[in-house]
Amino acid sequence: MSGLYVEGWSPEYGAPLDISDERMAASPIDPSVEDGEWSARPGVDDGVEHVLFVDGVRRVEARLTFDDLADGIVPGIVGAFAVGATRWDRTVPRSTVGDVLVERLAILGGGIKPELPPVPGLSVGAESIASDDPGQLIAHLHSRMRRAEADLSARLASTGTFVIADGPINELRAQPVVGFIKTHRVSYLGPEHLALIGRLKAGERTPIFLIDAQYPRYSWYLRLDELPDAHSWTAIVRCEAPAALGIEDAVTLADRTAALLPIVASKGHVDPRAPQNLVPIGALEKALRHRLGDQAMVYRALRGAVGSERRASVVGG
Amino acid sequence: MSEQEQVGRVLASEHSSTAEFRVVLDGDNYLQLDDLVLVRTQVPKRGEVRTYGVVTESQGIFEGASFESDTFRIAEEGTLPAEKVRSAQVAVTRVDPELWVAPDPGQMVYRASGDQRDKALYVDEMGRPLPIGIGRDDEPVFADLDFFDGRKGGHMSISGISGVATKTSYALFFLRMLTSRPDIVGDAAANLRVLVFNVKGEDLLWLDKPNRYLDEDAATAWGRLGVPPVPFPSVSFWAPPRRQSGDVVVPDTGGRLEGVDAFAWTPREFIDEGLLRFLFTDASDARNQLAFVEERVRLQLTRWAVDVAGQPGAVVLRQPPTGAWPAGESVTPDQGERVLTDLHSIVDALEELLEPIDGEEPDRAWSGRTQGGTISAFMRRLYSAQHRLGHLIRAGESRRIDRQAAQVTVVGIQSLHDLGQRFVVGALLAETFEEKEHTGQRLPLSVIVLDELNKYAPREGRSPLKEMLIDIAQRGRSLGVLLVGAQQSASRVAQEVLENASIRVAGRLDAAEAERSEYGWMLPSTRARARLLKPGTMVVSQPAIPVPLVLTFPFPAWATRREEVGDEGDPFEDL
Repeated sequence: MSGLYVEGWSPEYGAPLDISDERMAASPIDPSVEDGEWSARPGVDDGVEHVLFVDGVRRVEARLTFDDLADGIVPGIVGAFAVGATRWDRTVPRSTVGDVLVERLAILGGGIKPELPPVPGLSVGAESIASDDPGQLIAHLHSRMRRAEADLSARLASTGTFVIADGPINELRAQPVVGFIKTHRVSYLGPEHLALIGRLKAGERTPIFLIDAQYPRYSWYLRLDELPDAHSWTAIVRCEAPAALGIEDAVTLADRTAALLPIVASKGHVDPRAPQNLVPIGALEKALRHRLGDQAMVYRALRGAVGSERRASVVGG
Repeated sequence: MSEQEQVGRVLASEHSSTAEFRVVLDGDNYLQLDDLVLVRTQVPKRGEVRTYGVVTESQGIFEGASFESDTFRIAEEGTLPAEKVRSAQVAVTRVDPELWVAPDPGQMVYRASGDQRDKALYVDEMGRPLPIGIGRDDEPVFADLDFFDGRKGGHMSISGISGVATKTSYALFFLRMLTSRPDIVGDAAANLRVLVFNVKGEDLLWLDKPNRYLDEDAATAWGRLGVPPVPFPSVSFWAPPRRQSGDVVVPDTGGRLEGVDAFAWTPREFIDEGLLRFLFTDASDARNQLAFVEERVRLQLTRWAVDVAGQPGAVVLRQPPTGAWPAGESVTPDQGERVLTDLHSIVDALEELLEPIDGEEPDRAWSGRTQGGTISAFMRRLYSAQHRLGHLIRAGESRRIDRQAAQVTVVGIQSLHDLGQRFVVGALLAETFEEKEHTGQRLPLSVIVLDELNKYAPREGRSPLKEMLIDIAQRGRSLGVLLVGAQQSASRVAQEVLENASIRVAGRLDAAEAERSEYGWMLPSTRARARLLKPGTMVVSQPAIPVPLVLTFPFPAWATRREEVGDEGDPFEDL
C-alpha cells in the first residue's frame, strides 16, 4: 500500500548524538586587532542591566517512511525544536524564561514533500530535503533550530539588549550578540599565542583576535573557573562577536563576558557539563524540553492520525 | 449571588480527590489558612457539582529549582530562571449536590463568600446556627445548637494547656452567646440556668463588671456576633464561708466581697441529700470496703436524724420508734445528748457509734460486719474532711446556693482543698441532676461549666463524682443537663465523658498531647497547628461540619480580674 507510515522503531534509533557546529579554521586569523601586548586581561563588569541567553533544543518525535510502491521507500522524520531566551534582569536580580517558540516539522528525503494528515492538538509543518541520507534529515532539523535561534538573537539584540547565544554566530550586522562555544575542536591560534590560554585565571580573557571568514567576527578565550586537578583547558570557553561592531564595542563585550560568565557558570555537582554549561542556559534547555511536551503522547498522536487516515482512505477508496 | 473572586485553579499535576485538593494561586491573589473556597465542576450526565473546602495549608516553591543551592542562584544572583508558584492545600467540607466526585483539575477556584460561605460551613442546614466565634475572614462561624442543647447531641469539651489555651475564657464566651441570643436559641433560652465553678484564681468573680480594656475592635467583634459588648447581666456569686467567721458569715474570697454570698449546708441538708458520699471521692476509695461503710452510715443517718426544736438545720441522732423519723418531726435534746450543728459534731457522733473509745463493740446497725481496719480508714477520711471542709456544714438558716437567683451562678471553690472542691462540685451536680431527673423535662436547660475535669472524672479509678459525671454525659442530654467541661489533657479524662461531647474545642495543645487519639477529630495539619495556637484562637469540631474549624473569639466585655473592672459611672466625674 502506498503512503506515509510512522515507524514502530524508537525515534532515537540511529540518530547521531551530536552535530558539530564548529567550522574548520581555514580562515585567516589576526591576533593583533586589540591594543596592547598578548597577555591575560581581567573581565570588567560595566553594570549591564539585562543579559539574554538564547538557546534551543530539538528532538526526533517519530521516524517516517514514505512508500510510493514504484521507486521504493524514502526515509523521513517528524522532528520538533524549541528556542527561547533566559532574561537575566540584574537590577532585581531575577531570571525569567521567555520568547519561547516551539515548532514541529515532518521532513522527507528525496525531495518529496510529506502530506501529513491533521494531528489533533499538534501543528506540524512539512519540508523536504533532496538527500536520502537519514543523517541529513536530522541535520536539516538542527539547522532549522539554529536558524530560529539566530532569528531570535537578532530580534532581541536589535533593541540593543546584550545577547549571549549558544554556539557560533552568523551575524553580519553590528549587534551586541556574543556566541558562546563550549567545545574546542579547532585551534584558532598559533603556539606562541595558545600558551596564554593555559595561564588564564578565572574571569580573565585573552586579547581579541579577528576571524576573517564569510561572517567576519572577533573572538576571544576566557576561563570560567579554576578547578583542582584539571587540565589547562578545562573551564575554557571561546566567545565571538560580529566584526561589524568595531573593535571598541567588541572589547566592551569581551570584558563584560569575562566578568559575567564566571558568575553564571555551573557547578560540577549540579551539571555534568559544568562549568561550561551556563546556569541560565541549562535551565532554559530544561524549560524548552518541557515545553516540547510529552514525547510518548506526541508519538501516539502521530501514529493515530497517520493510521486512521490510511484506514479511512482504504474504506473510502 | 455575590460577586466571585477567582483566586487560582485546581492543581493539574496532582490528583484531586473528594477529600482534598490543591489550588495553584493566581500571581496577584492569595489564600490563607482557614479561608473557604469553591470549585464548580461539570460532571458528565449530572451537571454542575460545587465543591466547598477550607484551606489547611499554604505552600510556595520556585519551580525549576532542584538543588537547595539553587535558591541563591534564583533569589540572590538571579541567574537561574525559575517560576515562583504559591499553592494551598484544601480539605473538602462539602459537595453540593451530594455527588461525590473530585473537582476537575484546572478548574477555577473562587473564594467562598456570602451564601457560598454559609454553604461551605453548612450554615444553611443548621436548625439553629449560633455564632461560636469569628473566622479569619472576620465573619461569624456557627455551630448548630441542636448539637449542644440535647436535641441531636449535647455537651462541649474544651482541651488545652493552662494559661495559653484560654479554655475558661472560651467557655464563658460560649455562655455569653448562649444566653444573649434568644432569637436563635429559641424556647431553650427560657429560664436557662448556668452553673459555673471557679476553680482557680478569682477570674470568674467579675463577670458582671465591665472590662476597662475592652476596645473598639473588640466591641465591633461582639457586634458582628449580634451581642452587645456588655458584661453578663444576671449573675450571682457564691463562695464558702471563711473558717473563723463565727456568727457573722463572710464569704472566703480575696478580691471581692460585695455581691458575693457565702454558702453552706446545714447538717439536716447534709444528711437528707446524702452528701456524705462526696467526702469519699478519692479514686482509691472505691477499691476497698469504704464505700460499703459509707453507704450504710449514710442510710443510718437519714433514719436516725431528727430536727432539734428551736435550732434550724441542727439534728440529733436518736433511734427512731419505727424505721425512720417522719419528716418535719422535731425533738428537744435530752440532757447530754449531742446536737449535730456542724461536721465536727457529726464526726464525733459517728465516732461514738463506730469506734467507741472504751473498747465496746461498735453498733452493728451502723458498722455492719465490717472489719475494724475499714472502720478506722472510714473515720480517718472523716477526720481529714472535718479539717478541710468542716466550715461548709453549719446549722442555722439555710445558706444553700440558690441556682434560680440569677441566670448565671458562679460558685467560687478556689479557696477549698481538693477534697472540699470535689465535695461542693459533687453536691451541686447531684442537686442539679436530681432536680432534672425528677421533672424528666429537657427544658429549662441547665448548663454546668467545670474546669479541670480530670480532677472530677479521671480516666483511672472510680468515685461517686466520676460516676455522676459519666451519668450526666450519657443521660444529661435528654434531661437538659449539659456539661461544658474543660481540661488540660483530654487523655486524662474519663473516656465516657469525652465521647459524649458533641462539640469539641481545643486551644493550644502540648505537642505530645496533640498526637493522642483523643484528638483524632483534628486533621493532621490542624494538629500541627494546635501546638502554635495563640491565646484566643480555638479549633472547634462539631458533628454538622466534617472538618474542624479554627476560630477566634472577642476580648471579654466583662472583667477577669479586679484591675480590669471598669468604671460603672463615676459620680464625681463631672466635678
